Amino acid sequence: MAKVKFLKRDEIESATLCLLADYGRKYGALAVPPVPVEEILEAHLGLTLDFDDLRTRLGTPDVLGATWIQDKAVLVDEALDPTGDRLREGRYRFTLAHEIGHWELHRHGFLANAGHPSLFGDKPAPSIVCRSGSRNDPMEWQADTFSGYLLMPKEMVLAAWQRRFGSLTPYIAKDEIADLSAKWGLADDQQPTVDAAKEMARVFNVSGQAMQIRLIGLGLVRTEQPPPDLFDATSSVSSAIGREGEALAKPLAISAYGGHREGFWKEKMPV
Amino acid sequence: MAGNPAFGKRIRDLREARVKTDPTFSLRQFAERVGISATFLSKVERGEFDPPKAEHIITMAGLLGVDADELLSLANKVDPELEKIIKEQPTALPDLLRTVRGMSAEELRKLTERAREQKD
Repeated sequence: MAKVKFLKRDEIESATLCLLADYGRKYGALAVPPVPVEEILEAHLGLTLDFDDLRTRLGTPDVLGATWIQDKAVLVDEALDPTGDRLREGRYRFTLAHEIGHWELHRHGFLANAGHPSLFGDKPAPSIVCRSGSRNDPMEWQADTFSGYLLMPKEMVLAAWQRRFGSLTPYIAKDEIADLSAKWGLADDQQPTVDAAKEMARVFNVSGQAMQIRLIGLGLVRTEQPPPDLFDATSSVSSAIGREGEALAKPLAISAYGGHREGFWKEKMPV
Repeated sequence: MAGNPAFGKRIRDLREARVKTDPTFSLRQFAERVGISATFLSKVERGEFDPPKAEHIITMAGLLGVDADELLSLANKVDPELEKIIKEQPTALPDLLRTVRGMSAEELRKLTERAREQKD
């Protein structure tokens, strides 16, 4: 396995912004969401996308996607194919953006270490297998972080929020979260998705949970009642943006990274 | 599902050539425009599944800008329009087909040309 270089959040965010800018130069600037992940993967990066029964093929439960770096191929488990079911788009698009993250951040390590043993047929074993439900793999954490930034770029989220709500005033979600948690009988570590996040999720075509994490990270949704002096809109947003790393670091929905093979990640289904 | 690798490869090559300049030829958008699922298209292109029905192949040909008959013959299928055409002249057309059966491709091409001239 390739050695994973440590990357800071802002390095990963820069990588997504460069990719979006490159795509924009070739195919026209991206003015409004959703971010066209399939087009970035297939047209811009020239990777081949396929669907297959990966669980059977790789003999691994809970596999979501796999990337063959040498073959420039991405395979997504066919259970994620959103054809005819728009509700699956969020999870599917997150998986694609995650695999793009591996390509952008990790391919060099694998290209330098060519030659993986063949597990089946004429296709060698995938360079990277991504599964749900596991912990502590830096490569998977980086790809998840990349995915969030790519699907929900900061400027695009701020602009969409302003268009929808008329200002950048954050939404204090404490009461709504308490109400929803009581209604659904959720445990303390489970956070329900608030309506503002669900609404923005539709605009960005991502899951409500992923959107909520991003909005909390940008300080647009706040889960705690801020002290009165923070109610001024501009200062509260900018101070919250300054704490983005801290806020995003909480494992709310995209919770588990790492694991026993080359890495796994988890995105819980929307509540 | 026996699969047809030659047909699948032809579709994938054509689609991948187009997607570089036109992102609407991505796997899922193309499948959607043809009216099939992305997983099905993926498996057809990899030669795992048989080609889709003739109507879908004709739509594919139109989108990819190639001759539908070429793709239909790769898929070992016949344009369903032909049945309709034959039924318009249910005696004369089968007779014509049986008569020309066994002629070479070159002879058939010449015959078609003459027929076209006569029609004009």
